[in-house]
Amino acid sequence: MHRTLPEYEAIIGPVSASKLKQVAADLKGARVVHVNSTREGGGVAEILFWMIPLMNELGLEASWEVIEGNPEYFNTTKSFHNGLQGNKVVLTDRMIRAYEDTVAANADRLRPVLQEADFVIIHDPQPAMLHELCPNRKGKWIWRCHIDVSKPNRKVWNYISSKVDGYDVSIFSMPDFARKLNHPQFIIAPSIDPLSDKNVELSEKEINRTLAEFEIDHDRPILCQISRFDRFKDPIGVIQAFKLLNGAFNAQLVLAGGGATDDPEGAAVLDEVMDAVEGDDSIHVLMLPPDAHKTINALQRASTIIIQKSLQEGFGLTVTEAMWKHKPVIGGNTGGIRLQVHHYHTGFLVNTPDGAALRIRKLLSRPDLIDIMGATAKEFVKENYLCNRQLRENLTLMLGLRRGLSNHLITD
Amino acid sequence: MTDTEKNNMPFRIKDCTLIVRMAGLREAMNLRELEERISTCPVECLFHHFCETVIRPTFDDPDYSNDFAQWASRQLRDRILAERLANINPYKFDSLEELRKATLDIIQERLSELDYIPWAPNGNVFNFMQAVTVVYDTGILINSIKDLSDQLPHMSHGSIYYHFVEARRRTECGVDDFSVWLSDKKEETESLVKALSEIDFYFLSLAELKQTLIDTVCGFVTGEIYA
Repeated sequence: MHRTLPEYEAIIGPVSASKLKQVAADLKGARVVHVNSTREGGGVAEILFWMIPLMNELGLEASWEVIEGNPEYFNTTKSFHNGLQGNKVVLTDRMIRAYEDTVAANADRLRPVLQEADFVIIHDPQPAMLHELCPNRKGKWIWRCHIDVSKPNRKVWNYISSKVDGYDVSIFSMPDFARKLNHPQFIIAPSIDPLSDKNVELSEKEINRTLAEFEIDHDRPILCQISRFDRFKDPIGVIQAFKLLNGAFNAQLVLAGGGATDDPEGAAVLDEVMDAVEGDDSIHVLMLPPDAHKTINALQRASTIIIQKSLQEGFGLTVTEAMWKHKPVIGGNTGGIRLQVHHYHTGFLVNTPDGAALRIRKLLSRPDLIDIMGATAKEFVKENYLCNRQLRENLTLMLGLRRGLSNHLITD
Repeated sequence: MTDTEKNNMPFRIKDCTLIVRMAGLREAMNLRELEERISTCPVECLFHHFCETVIRPTFDDPDYSNDFAQWASRQLRDRILAERLANINPYKFDSLEELRKATLDIIQERLSELDYIPWAPNGNVFNFMQAVTVVYDTGILINSIKDLSDQLPHMSHGSIYYHFVEARRRTECGVDDFSVWLSDKKEETESLVKALSEIDFYFLSLAELKQTLIDTVCGFVTGEIYA
C-alpha cells in the first residue's frame, strides 16, 4: 500500500515537507521514467516503491518500467554486478550477446516512452544499454549506480562504462563508491522509508510476540546484529566480542539474517557461526525468510544495543534502521557505517572484537548513555537519512539539469 | 528604480538545497598529493570544502570548520597542521584564489618542517568534491524589520545559509542579503547592519547562527540592545 505525503509530513515535519513541495513546484508535469530489473525484492525496488507515488503526488508524472529477460540475461547481469564489486568473473561473448539481445528487445518495447520522457533514471547496470538504443532522446538521462564500483573487475567496468559514458550525469551513494566517467558524478546517499514494514512503529504486543516466538528473554539486555551470514559482516567477531563479556550484565546476543541456504558460502559461514556458539543458550542464531521485515523491525526495537561489526560494508542501511529506532550502534569502522556512527554521539566505531566488547561494556554500564545516544541517532536519521532527503536531492538534481549545471548557483 | 521604490521593496525569502558532486580530481592519499590537488582544483571545490561544510550534517567540533583541517587531524594525525588550517577564515580573503594561496602556504610550510610525508591510513583518502546550489523562492515576503524578526524563527537552515553565508560570495560588497536590503530602507537601520556585520559566523553552526540572528534582530526591534 502506498503512503501519502501527509503521512510522511507527520514524521518529517512541515518544514521538510514544504521544502519538497517547493523544489518540486518547478518540475510539475515533468515526465520521469525509472527503469530497473525487478519490481519486487532488493533495495532498488524498495526505493521505487515509495519514490514513484511521492513524485506523482508532488505533481510530476513518474512511472516505473522493468526490464524483462530470461535466466541467461539475469545470470549475465549477476556477473556484471559481482564484477563491478571487484569479484573475479568470467564474461563470455555469449553472455554479452544475451545481455545485448535482451536489452534491445526491451528497447523496442520501451523506446516511445523513454525517448519522450523529460528525465530517464536508469538503475544499476542491468538496463544501462537502453541509452544508446534510444537515439532520439528528448530529455536528460541519469545513471543511478547503487553499488560500489570503486575497485571493479577491469573487463566488466570497461564494458559497462562504455554503455554509461553517454549519460548526462550519474549518481553514486558515496564518494568512495564512485568511479570516473565522462560526465558529472553526483553523490546522493540512500535512505530508509519510515513507514515501511521494516521501520514502522510497532506495538509492545507485537514486539513481545516476536521475542516469545524466538524464546528471547524480554527482561535481559539484548545485543543484536542483523545481517546475512557473510564473512564481511564478521558474525564470528560479534560472537567473540560477546564471549569477552564473560556473562556480564546477563546479556543475550541475537544474530539474525537470512538467505544462506542456497548460497554455498553462506551455508559455510553459518556452520562456522554455529561452531563458535558452542551451544551457548544466551546466543540466538535466527535464520529468517527474506520477507521477515516486521520480525526484523521487532528485533531491532527490542534490542538494547545494535551491532554492525562489518569488516567491509556498503552504505549499511541496517545501521540507519537501528538508529531510527532510537538505538546506539556499535559499528565496524568501514564504508557507510563511518558516515552514520559518530563516536560518542550515535554509537561507537570499532576495529576488533575487543573494541566491540569494550564499547558494549561501556554502554551496558551506562544506560543513560544508551538513551542519549539513541535519541541523537534518531534525530540524525530524521535530518539526514529519511526518504524525503533522498527524494529532495533527486528533485534538486533534476531541477539543476533542467536549468543547466554549469554554474555553482542555480537560481529561478 | 527611485529611492522610494527601493525603500518599499520587500525582502523575498529564498531557500536552497545543495547537491554534491565529484570534482573530477584524483583523491589525495598523503599531504603532498593534497597540496598538488589544491593547487589545481576548481575554486568551487575550495568553496565547498571551506564554506559549504556548514550546511552538511555533522557532529564535528566547530573548531575544525573546514574539511582540510579535519582530514589533517583525523587521517594524517597532524594536529599542528590541523590547527593552522582550521584557523583560516575563508571570508577574510578577497577571492578564492587568495584563499587557495593561503592554504597552500600553510601546507607547504608544514611539508618543509617534516622529515616525512604524512599518509592517511588505507581507505581514508581525501575526495575532492564541489556542490551545485539550487535556489528557489519560498513565496514569503518581508516588508519591515518587524516582519524579519517574526519570520527568522521560521526560516529553514537553507534560507539562513543562502541569505547570510552564501550571499557573501554573491553580493557586490560581499555582505549578507539582509544588510543589503536594510541599507536601502528608510528606517534607521545603521546599528542593526553594524551588528549583523559583527557576527563571527564562520565558527557557528547554522542552528547557532540562526539563534544569533534572531537575538540580534529581536534586540533591535524591541530596542533592548540598540535603544
